Amino acid sequence: MTRGITSVFERLDRLGRIAENVVLIVLLGGMTLLSFGQIILREVFETGVIWADELVRLLVLWLAMVGAVAATRDDRHIRIDALSHLLPPFAVSLVRLIVDLFAAAVCVALAWYTWRYLQVEIEFEDTVLLDTPAWIAHLIVPVAMALTAYRFAVLVVRRIVELSLGKSAGATS
Amino acid sequence: MILLSIVLILLAILGAPLFAVIATSAMAGFLREDTDLMVAAIEILRLADLPFLVAIPLFTFAGYLLSESNAPKRLVRLTGAMLGWMPGGLALVALAACAFFTAFTGASGVTIIALGAILYPALKHDGYPDKFNLGLVTSSGSLGLLFAPSLPLILYGVIAEEPIDDLFLAGIFPGLLMLLMLSAWSLWVSRGTAQVLKPFSWAELGGALRESIWEIPLPFVVLGGIYSGFFAVSEAAAVTALYVFVVEVLILREVRFVELPNVIRQSMVLVGGILIILAVSLVSTNYMISAGIPERLLDWTASFVTSEVTFLILLLVFLLILGAILDIFSAIVLVVPLILPIAYQYGVDPIHLGIVFLAAMQLGYMTPPVGLNLFIASYRFEKPIMHVYAATLPFLLILAISVILITFWPSLSLVLLSR
Repeated sequence: MTRGITSVFERLDRLGRIAENVVLIVLLGGMTLLSFGQIILREVFETGVIWADELVRLLVLWLAMVGAVAATRDDRHIRIDALSHLLPPFAVSLVRLIVDLFAAAVCVALAWYTWRYLQVEIEFEDTVLLDTPAWIAHLIVPVAMALTAYRFAVLVVRRIVELSLGKSAGATS
Repeated sequence: MILLSIVLILLAILGAPLFAVIATSAMAGFLREDTDLMVAAIEILRLADLPFLVAIPLFTFAGYLLSESNAPKRLVRLTGAMLGWMPGGLALVALAACAFFTAFTGASGVTIIALGAILYPALKHDGYPDKFNLGLVTSSGSLGLLFAPSLPLILYGVIAEEPIDDLFLAGIFPGLLMLLMLSAWSLWVSRGTAQVLKPFSWAELGGALRESIWEIPLPFVVLGGIYSGFFAVSEAAAVTALYVFVVEVLILREVRFVELPNVIRQSMVLVGGILIILAVSLVSTNYMISAGIPERLLDWTASFVTSEVTFLILLLVFLLILGAILDIFSAIVLVVPLILPIAYQYGVDPIHLGIVFLAAMQLGYMTPPVGLNLFIASYRFEKPIMHVYAATLPFLLILAISVILITFWPSLSLVLLSR
């Protein structure tokens, strides 16, 4: 890889990480304040916002999806992690290359089918939160799955580079 | 189909992300039935229909934030002031502090890193044998699993559709039993060692209390709020997150604002990892139900399991094997929907089943090959993994006995519930 391409990727990587952090902070802060606000409204003013519960649950969906993208970037998805302690570094890199390629393919499939379901929601004019089109609230799922697929692809490329340079693996950024 | 199953199991063992493995098996099942795979999308979106799920990110964030502050140090000082004067006291301090802390951080290995780093050298300094210290710190990393508001308890409640506040109550005595048995063992082991004991001091206790004045209300906010009916579990989580944020970031200023994005990211990466597995497990559970697998499983079990006792024995064996392979979160979302109807058939209370499930899975944190605590301890304290295995073994055996007791003594879990 040439220097130029590497630095473009590094910049993309930094930007992506910052974007994830910002979205995660907004989502977490939003669900905390919304839930807390509901308690205050109920206990102090004996009222409530009718769509607040649904909005909190949608925020959880978004948080789960963006969290999954971030988990892929940080390489922190839950796996049965036994072999990496037993195999030599070269074999670990090779095995990780294969399983991450598989994960990328699965995410492409998930992105595709959730995207198709969104078309159905648009066609049937499904709504959430009183009158918001459902596809806007659900758009995060195919987008996050596509980004997750991309992140797994990046992990695969990294393994290939490691293998071709003959560097030891196992350690992750 | 069999070929595909073998390939998937192989991929899982090789370390493929579990959510990808679960998603593939579910989608392959639906494909064989000629069902449109958009059904996967519908099930994943059900993540936004599950009540109380919001408690998971909020409690996780609160736990991570606590572990980044000096709260672990204050907790150790406080329990030390209360228990440190008696022989073997520091071991009890370690157990109690770890249990409390794990309940808040969800048994994700944070305890070993946050508290182990303080307790391990302290135990060594006070003259406890090194092997004992290593085993104690490693096994304490998942000790508070049965105490509110631990993540696995909440997740079980969501999956089994059981009231989470009932599960919180049910976990108290079984959790205390584990704590007591490990305490007794610790006192027995440390009886002959030369320890440096500090005499009990009211001044020290007062100082420790004053120092922890902001954290002491926390358990009361969480549990008191829930059981007085003042707020629901999900609201208690919001109050906890906000309270911990205000105390540690705004009042005590132990976590600086610039560090906050990283704390949020780390905690939400864990949450994302758990919830994506939950999402694809919803797809897989839907497939299994449409394929009639729970019924077939039920018939199959009925053919050789005749009584509740045999069922519980087989369940324990199954859970111990499961815990050695799978992490607790994946195990809950995948397996609970399948065994819940079977357990019901044998008259096992679903709340009791939850406690047994989690107690047995807790052993999985310490059993090879995947025991998370073993690897974290080995990494954190720079000891060879075999050394950690050996040090943890006595603690593992004692916990195994407590799990057997918990399993065959249902009223221990159910006594606080009105059922």
